[in-house]
Amino acid sequence: MSAKPIVQVENVTHVYSRGNVTALDDVSVTINRGEIVGLIGQNGSGKTTLVKHLNSLLKPTKGRVLIDGEDTEKQSVQAMSAKVGYVYQNPNHQLFARTVQDELEFGPRNLKVDEAEIEARREEAIEFFGLEEMRDLHPYRIGFPLRKLVGMASIFTMRPDIFILDEPTTGQDNITTQRVYKLIHRLRENGHTVICVAHDMILLAEVVDRLLVMRDAHLIADDTPRKVFAMREVMESTHLAPPQITQLSLNLKKGKVVLSVDEMLKELKS
Amino acid sequence: MQGIAVPISVVPGNSPIHRINPIPKMVWVLGILVISFITRNPVILGGVFLLGLLFVTIAQIWPSYLRVVMVLFPISLTLILLQSIAPAFPQPWTPIVAVGPFTIWQEGIYSGLSLLLRIMCMTTFAMVMIMTSHPSDIFASMQKVGLPYTMNFILTMTLQLIPILQSEFNTVLKAQKSRGLKGTGFAAILPSMVPVFVGAIERVQQLSISLESRAFGSSGQKTSYRQVQFGFKDALVLAAGALFSGAMTYWLLVDKTLDWSRTLTFSPAFALILFFGAGIGFLLFIAFALRLVLTA
Repeated sequence: MSAKPIVQVENVTHVYSRGNVTALDDVSVTINRGEIVGLIGQNGSGKTTLVKHLNSLLKPTKGRVLIDGEDTEKQSVQAMSAKVGYVYQNPNHQLFARTVQDELEFGPRNLKVDEAEIEARREEAIEFFGLEEMRDLHPYRIGFPLRKLVGMASIFTMRPDIFILDEPTTGQDNITTQRVYKLIHRLRENGHTVICVAHDMILLAEVVDRLLVMRDAHLIADDTPRKVFAMREVMESTHLAPPQITQLSLNLKKGKVVLSVDEMLKELKS
Repeated sequence: MQGIAVPISVVPGNSPIHRINPIPKMVWVLGILVISFITRNPVILGGVFLLGLLFVTIAQIWPSYLRVVMVLFPISLTLILLQSIAPAFPQPWTPIVAVGPFTIWQEGIYSGLSLLLRIMCMTTFAMVMIMTSHPSDIFASMQKVGLPYTMNFILTMTLQLIPILQSEFNTVLKAQKSRGLKGTGFAAILPSMVPVFVGAIERVQQLSISLESRAFGSSGQKTSYRQVQFGFKDALVLAAGALFSGAMTYWLLVDKTLDWSRTLTFSPAFALILFFGAGIGFLLFIAFALRLVLTA
């Protein structure tokens, strides 16, 4: 993993013209290639506005956004989609094709990938996400958790450098949640950059290297989950609670901050 | 892409027309509807249309109104074009001038112009009504007039669903663009329409469940959170609307000399300018639309 910045957000301010709302106020952040980043904050703190700048859905009112060294200002969303894959929170907004299989082929076909490669990617995605049984079903006929996986798979086949996952585990059952974890680990192994907007602290504690915290259009913290969870004031001011096991370790006030039950066990045994 | 949606919903404002109760406005819309269908006289229709534009000015809804009219623009051009060579009018027709294999008919021009004005009159008044009345106010006042609750609910729900569907459409279009969807034309229709319609059906299903669980259709006296006033001014506007449309209807039905279909003659020059103007306008529109689709 080289430490080359792939996302550079430089002093970005965004004002929604309707209602004159400042959703981002002078935000700067640099994300390196291969980093797994979590983005947390209350609803309305500017998380979604920030990630929408990365694939050019929104343009900064002030400042600039560089993706792989290129300014997004002049780029269309379609052009950016080859580099930045945005998985929407609600899969119903993205899915439309007659079968799951067609759905997986839609993205790469838009990018003019050749047919043999499309097929290879499709098969890989079906295998990885465990969609074999439903490959010929209509996406709306399968349950919500699996539909969400299809949404992720449809971006996965586009092979973007950067994955943006908006609430990937919300409304998911245990099995699909595990698969999301697996997906993120797999993306990490392949050297992709992942930005995860989430309220699921356990997910973040488990998979993320770095946590960005937003409050009222500002970025207020940027560190490893271990350190961010220990910042009591930051966490309280955003009304976010670390995983219970981490809270326990924080309240014990001795030893180190733990992120999982296994870690706690190890800590207690030593 | 934000501007793709036509804003057929209330435009916030505080003009004199905004402040009028929805009922008198509806009476006007109904009256104009009757007048537009009774007559084909272009001068009377034109006059009613100008009156409508005056209301648009008073209500200060020009930008939204123009966006609706823009949608009607290609339809009006084809209307003029097709009517002048194939009038929707009883025979016999009087020829004015021949253009290649086609003949432009006297009745065709007349019929095209009057149909166009009819559409414009009705749209203008309907838009003034819809763009200046909050759906909840319409609901509350219809309730007062005594429209059955269920009927009333269907009516206002439809009005409220339009902006929701428009924002939904924008979200879906953005989601599809994030998947590399190109084009705003035919290629974009399926990927963006399917999720919107499926979403709409799901929404309606959920709505019906939530209505049931909140005792929809239970009997008894209903009160409304939103209070609508019906003052002296509203009564005046209502009376004016009823009187105006009543008098116009009577006049138009009685005075047979207002039927100008056989007496009003158009000069060949006027007919040609209208015909070619509409033709060229239509071709330009097609070219513009094609360019938009191909370059997107």
